[in-house]
Amino acid sequence: MTEATTSDRPPAAGADREQPASKRAVRIWQAVFVLILVGFVVLLALRLVQTNQSEQRAAGEAPSFTFTTFQGETIALEDLRGQGVVVNFWASWCNPCRDEAALLEAAWRREKENGIVFIGLDYLDQEPAAKAYLAEFDITYPSGPDLQSAAARRYGIKGVPETFFIDPQGNIQELVIGPIVSQNRLDELLDQIRP
Amino acid sequence: MIFDIGHLILLAALVLAAFGILGGYFGGQQRNTRLIQSSFNAVYAVAALVLVATVILWYGLLSDAFQLSYVWNHSERALPTFYKFSALWGGQAGSLLFWCLLLSGYSAIVAFANRHRHQVMMPYVNSVLLATSLFFLTLLVFAADPFKRVGFVPPDGQGLNPLLQNYWMIIHPVMLYLGYVGMVVPFAFAVGALMSKRLDNEWVHTVRRWTLIPWMFLSAGIIMGSQWAYMELGWGGYWAWDPVENASFLPWLTGTAFLHSIIIQEQRGILKVWNVVLIWLTYFLVILGTFTTRSGVLESVHSFARSDVGPYFLGFLVIILFGFLWLLFDRLPLLRGEHTIDSYSSREAAFLANNWLFAGIAFATLWGTFFPMFSEILTGERISVAAPFFNKVNGPLFLLLLLLMGVAPLLGWRHTSLAAFRKQFTFPTLAALGVGVFVFVVARSLYPMIGLAICAFVVATIIQEYVRGVQARRSTTGENALVAIGNLWRRNGRRYGGYIVHIGIVLIGVAVIGNEFYQQSLSVTLATGESATVGRYQIVYNGMQTDRQANLMEFGAQLEAFHLDSGQQVAVVVPKRNIYDKAPDMPTSEVGLHMSPIEDVYVVLNGWDDGGASATFTIYINPLTMWMWVGGIVLVIGTLIAAWPNPVRRRNESVRALAYATGDD
Repeated sequence: MTEATTSDRPPAAGADREQPASKRAVRIWQAVFVLILVGFVVLLALRLVQTNQSEQRAAGEAPSFTFTTFQGETIALEDLRGQGVVVNFWASWCNPCRDEAALLEAAWRREKENGIVFIGLDYLDQEPAAKAYLAEFDITYPSGPDLQSAAARRYGIKGVPETFFIDPQGNIQELVIGPIVSQNRLDELLDQIRP
Repeated sequence: MIFDIGHLILLAALVLAAFGILGGYFGGQQRNTRLIQSSFNAVYAVAALVLVATVILWYGLLSDAFQLSYVWNHSERALPTFYKFSALWGGQAGSLLFWCLLLSGYSAIVAFANRHRHQVMMPYVNSVLLATSLFFLTLLVFAADPFKRVGFVPPDGQGLNPLLQNYWMIIHPVMLYLGYVGMVVPFAFAVGALMSKRLDNEWVHTVRRWTLIPWMFLSAGIIMGSQWAYMELGWGGYWAWDPVENASFLPWLTGTAFLHSIIIQEQRGILKVWNVVLIWLTYFLVILGTFTTRSGVLESVHSFARSDVGPYFLGFLVIILFGFLWLLFDRLPLLRGEHTIDSYSSREAAFLANNWLFAGIAFATLWGTFFPMFSEILTGERISVAAPFFNKVNGPLFLLLLLLMGVAPLLGWRHTSLAAFRKQFTFPTLAALGVGVFVFVVARSLYPMIGLAICAFVVATIIQEYVRGVQARRSTTGENALVAIGNLWRRNGRRYGGYIVHIGIVLIGVAVIGNEFYQQSLSVTLATGESATVGRYQIVYNGMQTDRQANLMEFGAQLEAFHLDSGQQVAVVVPKRNIYDKAPDMPTSEVGLHMSPIEDVYVVLNGWDDGGASATFTIYINPLTMWMWVGGIVLVIGTLIAAWPNPVRRRNESVRALAYATGDD
C-alpha cells in the first residue's frame, strides 16, 4: 500500500506541464457554462414577462380568445356575439371533469338550437389522452387545446373544471369552479345567458 | 396598529441585514474584530425581529384579524385553531415570512455554534446567510407584505384552501421548508471558504453535518408530501412528477450527490471544484424552485397564486448564478485536486459514478420540468412532459444507483484486489441470485426481478458489513452483538448510520417496484349491498353516512373488504368526501385505506346518487406501499445516527483518516 502514496506526485506534475493548452480548455468550458446559464435566465425572464402580460379578467367582460379545435376548426370568441357562450375548462387528467362531462354534452345537444354555444378548452393536456376523453363521453361541441394556457391565464382560472357563462353581449354572467353536477343548477345558469 | 408595527419590524430587520452583510464583508477583509462581531450581532437581531413579526402574524391569524388581507384570504372564523396556526404557510406572503423565519433561525444557530471556530471564514458565512435573509425581507417589505390591510373590516375570512386542511399539510411544508432553507447553510460555508481562500478540508468537515440535517428534513418532507398525495389527492399514486414535486426533488438529488462526494474529498482530496459546484447548484435549485412555484412561471396543480415576486426572484437568481461563478473562476487555481483516481475498481470511482448518476437524474428531471415551458416560448406549442418520460429515463438510472449503493461499500479505497473482490462479493451476489430466481419463478417478469435482486444485493452487502463490524468488535472487546452494534453506531455513525439510510432507500425502492408493476385498479358503481371483486378481495358497499364538522360536511361510504378465498373480513374501509362551507365547489377526497405489509386496499369515493343509494368508487390494490413510509422512518433514524455528534469520533477523526488512506477500515 505504501508504494501507492508515491504515485500521487506525477499526475500533478503532469498537469503543470499541460498548463497552456488546458488553460485555454478551461476558459472555453467556462464560457460555455456561462452561456448556457445566460440562456436559461433569458428564457426564464421571457416567460416571466409573458406571464405578467396576461390580463386579469376585466370586470365582467369576457376576455377574447381564439382556439383551434381538435378537428382543426378555428373559433374566436368575438364571432360568437349574439349567442350565449358556455366556456368550460377541462383536462383529461382531471377526475372531477368526468362528473360533469355527460351533463354538459346532453345540455349542448338540447340547447344548440336555442342560441347557446358550448366550448371546451383543454388545459395542460396531451392530445391522445384528450381525444380519448372526448370519445369516451362522446363530446360533440367544439373542444380544443388551450395553447400556452393563454385563455386559462386571461380568465384566471383556479383549476379545472371551471366554467364561464357568457351572455350574448360578451359579459361574464356566472362562473362555476368545480364540476356542475345537477341539471337544475345548469339550467338556472343557462337561463341567465339566453339570447 | 400592532400590524403596522409588524411591518416596521420587517423593515428594521431588512436594514440590519444589509448592515450585517457589509459588516461581515469588510470585517473579513480587514480582520476588524468589531465589524465581525457586528455581523454576528446582526444575524441574532434579524432572527429575533423576524420571530417577533411572525408572532404578530400568528396573533392576527388566531384572533381573526380579517382587516389583514392575508388573514382574510387564508382563514375564517370556523377554521379549527391548529389550521389557523398553520395558515401561516398556507399562502404566498405568510409562507415567505415562514421561509424567512426558518432561515434566520438556522443562521442564528450556525453563527452561535461557530462563534469561536473558523475565525477567518465566519464573517463571510454570516454575510451570505444575511444576504439570503435580505432578499426574502425585501420581498416581504416591498412585494408580498403579510401585514397589508384590506380597506374595510370583513365580517369573516374566505377560508383556507380545502386541500391544505389536512394534518399532513401542517407538518409536510414545515419539513420541506426546514430542508429547503437549511441548504443555504452549506452554501454559505462554501462561499465563505472561497472568499477567505481557506479551501482545505476544514469547511468540508463542518458542512457535512449541516448538510445532513437539512437533507434529512428534505427527505422527510418529500416522503410526507407523497403520503399526503397518496391519502388526500386520491389518484392511487404517491408521486406524479409534477413541477412542484420536482422543485423539491431537484435539490434533494444534488444535495445527496454532495453528501457522497464530500466523502471523497475528505478521504482523497479530489473533486474540490465539483463539490462547491454541487452545493451551489443545490442552493440555486432551492431558490429556483421557490421562484418557479410562486411566480406562475411553471404551471402546476398546486402552485401558489401569482403575485409580484417574480422579477425579484429573477434578479436574485442572476446574482447567485453569476456572482458565484465569478468567485469560483477566480479561485479555480486553489481548488486543484491532490490526487487522481487510481483504479476503476476503487471506492472513489464508485462514488464518482454515483455522482454522475445523480447529476444525470437531476438533469433529466430539470429538463422534463422546464422543457414544456421553454418549448412553448420558442415554438408557441406546449409539449407536455408527463410521468412516463420521467419513469423511463430516471427508472433505469435509479436502478443503477441502487446497484452502486450495494457495490461501493465492497470496494476498497484506491484499488480492490481480486482476492478481496471474491471475499466481498460472494455473499451479496448469492443473495441477489436467490431473490432474483425466486421473483422470476413467482412473478415471471423481468424488471421487477432485476429490481428486487438488486435490492437484495444491497441489503446483503449491508448485513455483511454489519456482521464483519460486529465480529471485529467482539473479537477485540468481547462485548455481545447488540452492544457491538450500538458501539458501531456511536463510534462510526457516519458509516453505519449511512448503511441504515441505505436500508431505508431500499425499502422505498421495493415499494416503488411493487406499485409500478403490480398495482391493480377498478372503477365501479355499486348500489347499497352490492359488491365488487378486485385482486384477492371482495368489497361490499353498505351505504353512506354523513357527518357535520365545524366548517364542512363529511360524506363517508361504508365499505367492507373480505378475502375472496376464505370469506374472512379484512377491514372496514371508509372513503370520504368533504364539502367545505367556504368552498363548496372544491370537494376534497379522503381515501379509504386498509394498510398491510403485503398490500393496501385503497378506495376513492368518486360520487354518489340519491343520497348514497348508489355510489361510484375507484378501488386500487397497491402492493408493498407501506414499506415506503417505513423506509422513510428508517431513513430519518439512519440520518440521525450519522449526524449525531460524537466526541469519540471527533478525537479519532485523524487516526481514522490515516486508516482509510491505507485502504484498511
